[in-house]
Amino acid sequence: MAADEQSLRVAVLGAGLIGVDLTDKIHQSQKLELALVAGRDRDSLGLRRAAEMGHSTTAGGIRAVLDTGPFDVVFDATNADSHAEHWAALRPTGTTLIDLTPTELGTVIVPGVNSHRSAAHRHVNLVSCGGQAAIPILYAISEHCTPTYIEVVSTGASASAGRATRLNLDQYIATTSAAIRTFTGTRDVKVMVNLSPARPAPPFRVAMTVLAGSFRAAPIRTSIAAAAQAVRAYTPGFKVTSLAVDPGRISAAVEVTACGGRLPPHAGSVDIINAAAVLLAEQSR
Amino acid sequence: MKGTPPVNTHPHERPRILLHDPTLRDGHHAVGHQLDADQLRAYATAANAAAVPVVEVGHGNGLGASSLQIGRSKLDDAMMLTTVREALTSSRMGVFMAPGWGTSDDLEAAVHHGADIVRIAAHCTEADVTERHLGVVRDLGAEAQGVLLMSHMTDPGELAEQCALMVKFGAQAVGIMDSAGHYLPSDVTERVHAIADAVDVTVIFHGHNNLGLAVANSLAAVDAGATVIDATARGFGAGAGNTQLEVLVAVLERRGAETGIGLREVLAAADIAADRLMKTPPSIDSIAVASGLAGVFSGFKRPVLQTARAEGVDPIDLFLALGERQVVAGQEDLIGVVARQLKASTR
Repeated sequence: MAADEQSLRVAVLGAGLIGVDLTDKIHQSQKLELALVAGRDRDSLGLRRAAEMGHSTTAGGIRAVLDTGPFDVVFDATNADSHAEHWAALRPTGTTLIDLTPTELGTVIVPGVNSHRSAAHRHVNLVSCGGQAAIPILYAISEHCTPTYIEVVSTGASASAGRATRLNLDQYIATTSAAIRTFTGTRDVKVMVNLSPARPAPPFRVAMTVLAGSFRAAPIRTSIAAAAQAVRAYTPGFKVTSLAVDPGRISAAVEVTACGGRLPPHAGSVDIINAAAVLLAEQSR
Repeated sequence: MKGTPPVNTHPHERPRILLHDPTLRDGHHAVGHQLDADQLRAYATAANAAAVPVVEVGHGNGLGASSLQIGRSKLDDAMMLTTVREALTSSRMGVFMAPGWGTSDDLEAAVHHGADIVRIAAHCTEADVTERHLGVVRDLGAEAQGVLLMSHMTDPGELAEQCALMVKFGAQAVGIMDSAGHYLPSDVTERVHAIADAVDVTVIFHGHNNLGLAVANSLAAVDAGATVIDATARGFGAGAGNTQLEVLVAVLERRGAETGIGLREVLAAADIAADRLMKTPPSIDSIAVASGLAGVFSGFKRPVLQTARAEGVDPIDLFLALGERQVVAGQEDLIGVVARQLKASTR
């Protein structure tokens, strides 16, 4: 894709499942110019694929990003344990760092909920795929009631979760819970994660239960529909598949089917967080 | 002894089988996770007196799993563990945790409360989620075991590979759970053989009784080389229940294996379980047969019955439909969805 003068020079750090799809999505962006894909294993599928697409690649990790930079935006699609070091290294370069690992270091941004604030921040965190799917709906609900308890259970297909995701389940739970607390003002939050071995692989699914005192059903339904519409603007496969608004209890489930690109349909988790990342990068100037 | 294959390499020694008793954990599924402290104490005391080597305790789905999705437990994890720990003088205390339901914080708390053996569980093809937590358990100094749930969903070779991975991550014993009660003895033989060939640590088997084969499957596991077998008093557990502990003690006695458990004492413990923990012992009702055949997690029985009643659908149809969707434990949110789809399709 020919980049015009207005385009932002970006780098992807990490060449796992997330990094590979990010590469594809950035490739299609009119506003982003992918200048480097940095992994750690020269033979990894992610680096080979990026090279095949004509992008410049390196197995030199963060060091290579620093040497090749500065970049307008760097996406961190590595591992929660490595992220703090990446931020420390990139901070002095003036780069905007968009963190796709579940850490709580950057400013938490969920498009449609608080993305208007993203341009002001040089270090953005995207919570988790489950957070990106749940928070727009939970935020919409919490505009109309005061939740006393929120529970979120995400189920991803086995094939949609790479090694870092699997190592980071604790951080995923902690980061997602913290973000839900922040966005809804609810202290009692529980997050659980399932990986499904079913074949064919099921779509990414996030089930939410909100307990709250009194509320009116109609405005909640309207706000949820509007929130879902807003998410679909950048993740077309996002859908509210069930919604029950009962006295004291709201249960909703969303499913995300990956659409377009090379992602298999079950990888909706990767699709939604990467779509959010690219959207925020495009808006970062 | 003709026709009876040797269970270990020392023909003059009676093979030693360690019975691991999750009555106070898996049994929780049968009573909506509602056991109170007196009940936990009564059974733990009796199991300890019977020299049951490991008494496992917790919410039915383990540490951190108390939730609206899976069911809230009456007592929190700390209270359950403290209560049982106080009742055990010689038996070791076990806990269970699946990454994604519980976290490292739960593991630290459990070991702090006196857990000796920590099982880290993953669905059958997902062993790599156990890497971090098996390491945490080892660092905490407890015995780390790795178990694969819903193991009927994949083949013996894959199970063996997944078990070998868990050993690489630090598991000191590994094995499989027949979470749906789906296996025949020959299935168990093949799988345990494959695992025992692939690892050099103790192999675990955990059966359920949906097809009436839990004890037979456990015996097949022993014959194939498993040396840790899970069993619960009166088979207390989800749906048709688990391998019945006191029956297995008697069967292994006949088989010439050593469990270290006295029959009279384990029968007394089982009577206490029957008296204190359950209204009725588990039985293989029609639902249990259907769920075993469909290969659906036995712990779904209560929510499936509730949902079937609320939506006006046949619970057996619902179980079979859930089986087609290949749902796994933790996906209880799908029960209502599938029930409503069934209802719509039969209208």
